[in-house]
Amino acid sequence: MHILLVEDDPDTAEFICAGLAQHNAQVQHCDNAERAMLSASAHAFDVIIFDRLLPNMDGLDAVRILRASNVTTPIIMLTALSDTADRVTGLEAGADDYLVKPFAFAELYARLKALARRQPLRADTLELVIGELRLNRTSRKVLRAGREIELMPKEYQILEYMMQHPEQLITKTMLLEQVWGFSFDPKTSLVQTHVSRLRNKLDKPFTFDMIKTIRGSGYLLTGSTDG
Amino acid sequence: MVSHYHLKRALLSGGALWAAMLLLLWLLGQLLVWQDKQTQQHEFSEFLSDIENMLEEHGFEQVLQEFELEDEVIWPEHEARAHLADEGWLIAVFEQDKLLFGAETQLTASPTLQWQTVSLGEEGDAELLSATVNLSDGLRIHYWQKQDELHAHKNAFYAQLMYWFALLSLPLMVAAIACVQAKRSRALQALSEQLVQVAHSPDSKRTKVATSNSDIITLSVSINRMLDEISRLHGNLKTMSVGIAHDLKTPLSRISNRLQSMYQDLDDPTRLEGHIDKASNELAQVINTFNNLVRLNAIESGKHIQGFKTFDLSALIDELAQSYLPVFEDSERHFEVSIVPAVHCHGDKDLLGQLICNLLENALEHSQPNAHVWLRLQSHTLSALLQIGDDGPGIPVKDQAKVFDKFYRADISRGRPGNGLGLSIVRAICEVHQAQLCLLDNQPGAVFNIEIPTRQALSN
Repeated sequence: MHILLVEDDPDTAEFICAGLAQHNAQVQHCDNAERAMLSASAHAFDVIIFDRLLPNMDGLDAVRILRASNVTTPIIMLTALSDTADRVTGLEAGADDYLVKPFAFAELYARLKALARRQPLRADTLELVIGELRLNRTSRKVLRAGREIELMPKEYQILEYMMQHPEQLITKTMLLEQVWGFSFDPKTSLVQTHVSRLRNKLDKPFTFDMIKTIRGSGYLLTGSTDG
Repeated sequence: MVSHYHLKRALLSGGALWAAMLLLLWLLGQLLVWQDKQTQQHEFSEFLSDIENMLEEHGFEQVLQEFELEDEVIWPEHEARAHLADEGWLIAVFEQDKLLFGAETQLTASPTLQWQTVSLGEEGDAELLSATVNLSDGLRIHYWQKQDELHAHKNAFYAQLMYWFALLSLPLMVAAIACVQAKRSRALQALSEQLVQVAHSPDSKRTKVATSNSDIITLSVSINRMLDEISRLHGNLKTMSVGIAHDLKTPLSRISNRLQSMYQDLDDPTRLEGHIDKASNELAQVINTFNNLVRLNAIESGKHIQGFKTFDLSALIDELAQSYLPVFEDSERHFEVSIVPAVHCHGDKDLLGQLICNLLENALEHSQPNAHVWLRLQSHTLSALLQIGDDGPGIPVKDQAKVFDKFYRADISRGRPGNGLGLSIVRAICEVHQAQLCLLDNQPGAVFNIEIPTRQALSN
C-alpha cells in the first residue's frame, strides 16, 4: 500500500508511520496542507490519511480543494472532534471515512485496507462468493457448501458487509457504522451478540470457521481453512 | 443623600412636569374665559333684539327712556368713558352719520358682535362688547357693553392662580420628585449592598427589600430566582467536576498500576500482554467518557435541530428492537415489544436511536435475570408515546429527581461500569426534540415515558 500521511503532530505521525511500516506499507509524510496537496496531485497513492486540524488550514478545506481538482484517491480524515455533525461535514467535504482520535492502530489499518481495496460495488453484482460461501443479493439467500443458511436481517447485513471486504479486519465500530448506522457506541455487546449468532449458523455446522476473531480488534472473514 | 445625578433628574423631570401643568392650566383658564364671553355675547344679542322689539312696539321714545337719554345729551369722549366705567355700558344714536345723542367717542362698532380692549384711564383696561343696530328712517344705534364684572374678576382670578401656581409649584415638584428618587435609590442601594454579601455566600444568602415599591420588589424576587438557578447550575457543575474526577481517577490509577506491573513483568511476554490489554481497556473507558461528554455538549447546543427530518419512528424502533432482542435473550431477560406501525415524527434519527439504545442499555444494566423489559410505542393525536420499562428493582425515590443529572449515579461507589451520562444524554435528546420525558412514580421497576411531538402535518 502506498499511503500519504498528512499530520502535523510528530508523535501521532511517528506512531502511524511505525505501525504502517510493520505492515510493509510505503508512507510519505507531510506536516502541512500545502505540501500535501502538491504531493497528492503529483503522485498516485492508494489512500490519503488527512488530519483535520492542520497549521494554517482546516484539513476539510484541503480535502475540498483536492476533490475539486479531480483527485479521487480515497481519503480518511483523522480528528479530535467526535460529533456526528462533524463527521457528516467531513464526509460531505469529500472524505471517504472519518476516524476520531485517539484510535487503535488496528482500527486505522482496517479502515485503510477497506478503503484501498474498495472497488465500487456494481449494481449487477448479484452474487458474492468467498470460498464455499455464496450470498445472493436479490433473493437474499445464503449458501455454504450448498447448504442454505437462514439468517435474520441484521445477521445478513453483517455477512454481506464482511463478504464485500474478505480477508480484511473489520472492527466493531465499522460494523456499528455500516450495519446499524450508529455514530455512537452502545455499552452492551450488541455487535458481539449478532456476530456470535451469525457464527452459530455459519460456522458451527461446518468443518472450519470462516469468521475469525482478531482479539481486541474485530473480525475477519476468510474463505480458506488456513486463512 | 441625593446625588448630583438624582438632583439633575429631579430638576429636569420636575421642570418638564411644571411646564406641562402650567400649559394645561392656562388652556383651561382660556377655555373658561371663552365660555364666559360666549354667554355674555349671547345675552348681548338677546338684549339687542329686545331693543328692536321695544322700538317696534313702543316707539323710539321708550327706547330713549330705557337708556335714560330723554334729555338727548351728548357725552364728550371723557364723559363717555367715565359713563362706561361707572355704568358698564355706552350708547350712541346716529341719524345717517350725524350723532343725535349719546357718546361722542372714538370707539368703533360694527354690525356684527365684536370684542375690543380699551383703556379706561385709572380703571385700567377693559374688555368691551360692541354692536350696531340699524333702525328704520336711517337711524342707527351703536352700543358698547363692558365685560361682565363677575367674568372680569374670574379672569383676574385665573391670572392670579396661574401666577401663584407657577411660583410655588416648581420647587414643590422638584422637592417631591427628589424625595421619591431618594427613597427609591435608598432601596436600590440597600439591594446592591445585599448583593455584595450574596457574592460571598451565593448558596445561602438571598436579597430582601423593605419597600413598597413594586418594581424593586419584583427586581429582588427576580434576582433571588436567578441566584437559585445559578446555585443549581453551580451544584451541577460541582457534581460534574467530582464525577469527572472520580470517573477518570479510577481508570487512571488502574492504568498507573498496570504500567508499574509492566516494569516488573518485562521478561514475561504473556503477562506483559495481559497488562497491556487491561490498560487499553481502562483507557478506552476514559476516552468513552470524554466522547460522551463532547456528544452531550453537542446535543445540548442544539446544532442538530437544523438537520431535523420527518421519518418513520415505528420503523426505527422496530429495527432497534429486533437488534436488541438477541441481546436480551442472551442475558436471560424477557423482552416484550409492541409498536403501533407508521408513527412519524420530526427529529434526528441518529439521536432518537441513541435515546432508545441508552434506555434499553439502562434497563439491561439495572435489571436482574428473568426480569421483564418492555418497549411500547403508541400513537396519540399530536404525539407519539414511547415507553421503555422494566420490572427490576427500580430507582429509589430519593434518587429519582437526580437520575438525569450528569455523572449522577445512585450507586455511589461507582462499582458498576458506565459513566452516569447515559440518562443525561437521554434528557438532552428529549429537550432538543421538545419531547416530554418522565420517570413514572410508584412503579415496580424503572419506567420511562417519552412523548414526542409528531407534527404529522409536516410529513404530508
